[in-house]
Amino acid sequence: MRRLIVFFVIAVFLSACSSVDCPLNNTVYCVYSLKGDVEMLSDTLTVSTPRVYGGDTILIDNKVNISNLLMPMSYIQDRDVLYFTLIDASHAIRRDTVVVSKTNDPHFESVDCPPCYFHTITDISHTHHAIDSIIITKSKVDYDTEVENLHIYFKPRN
Amino acid sequence: MTQRWKTYIFILSLAISLTWTTKIYAQAKQKQLSIVETTDSVPLLNGIAVSADIAGIIQYAVSDYGQFEGAVRVNLRDTYFPIMEIGLGKASHDDAVTLIHYTSTAPYFRLGVDYNLMSDKHDVYRLYGGIRYATTYFKYDISHPGLKDPYWDDEVPYGAEGVKCNYHWAEIVGGVDAQIVGPLRMGWSVRYRKRLSHSDGSLGNVWYVPGFGKAGSSRLGITFNVSLSI
Repeated sequence: MRRLIVFFVIAVFLSACSSVDCPLNNTVYCVYSLKGDVEMLSDTLTVSTPRVYGGDTILIDNKVNISNLLMPMSYIQDRDVLYFTLIDASHAIRRDTVVVSKTNDPHFESVDCPPCYFHTITDISHTHHAIDSIIITKSKVDYDTEVENLHIYFKPRN
Repeated sequence: MTQRWKTYIFILSLAISLTWTTKIYAQAKQKQLSIVETTDSVPLLNGIAVSADIAGIIQYAVSDYGQFEGAVRVNLRDTYFPIMEIGLGKASHDDAVTLIHYTSTAPYFRLGVDYNLMSDKHDVYRLYGGIRYATTYFKYDISHPGLKDPYWDDEVPYGAEGVKCNYHWAEIVGGVDAQIVGPLRMGWSVRYRKRLSHSDGSLGNVWYVPGFGKAGSSRLGITFNVSLSI
């Protein structure tokens, strides 16, 4: 009987334990990976986007020697318009506009976890000044930043 | 001469084996008689008990979730106890950090059987081991004051109503109870709950499952039962 009481007390403590049920990586990013002839971008890259109520904001600020990008996505816009600006060592500028069409799905992880939106990329279009092509490799954009969502192929400098 | 010795040995072996057989037969007969003498006089259907779980009510009073649970248990010869448990699980949680308000209220059901592990089945004390199959179909609501998109700068609503989910799980139960006075009994049980299948609904996850506790693949649970034999 004494063993039963001890077991009961342990069980009470175990069942009373509380924990935070939120994954460490609880931010949502779209993962771009550079492929093709330019797997490491030597140009300086800046990515900006127009805000809903006017003006622009910078998403990627003057990055160099990059091979992949973690790009935020808007919570509820149906299309994200991204301006890619590449500046080489001689200050020559190439600009492209990328339009990412997507669905926006509210996601609940736990009461301890900040509310967020997951997305499914449905289409992508872009201009072709510096970017050769973009391929969707994983359409679902969620907490997982280990798997690439998009393969982006830049044109090499002549 | 050798042949004669073999015959003697054979006769001796036969005599010994006959003696043993007779002895074993006599013992078996005696055991059979003793079994007949101690045949259980308790009827197969030895009563029905209704019970209420106090632990779930206390849990709801001191935390953000809990359950109101009752059970009907059939007593078969003080040995087997088929049981049906019905409850109403409730959760209402306000998170001060994430500002998420989560609510859910839904019934759940369990079916199973307990086995009295005591050597004296008719003792006033009972030690149980048992199993359950449990299920619940429930909905939950989430509300939130809204998000501000840090890059696009717009105000974004967040929340959902009536997100449909379901959980099916099995429980291994260990417990004790004792007769307090007359038909009144009290006892407790510890349960290991293992999820069998589930649907978390369209939002991706569920936080509280009625009858199961906080969502997960397994949980420990406790009941404290007051029962009345009728």
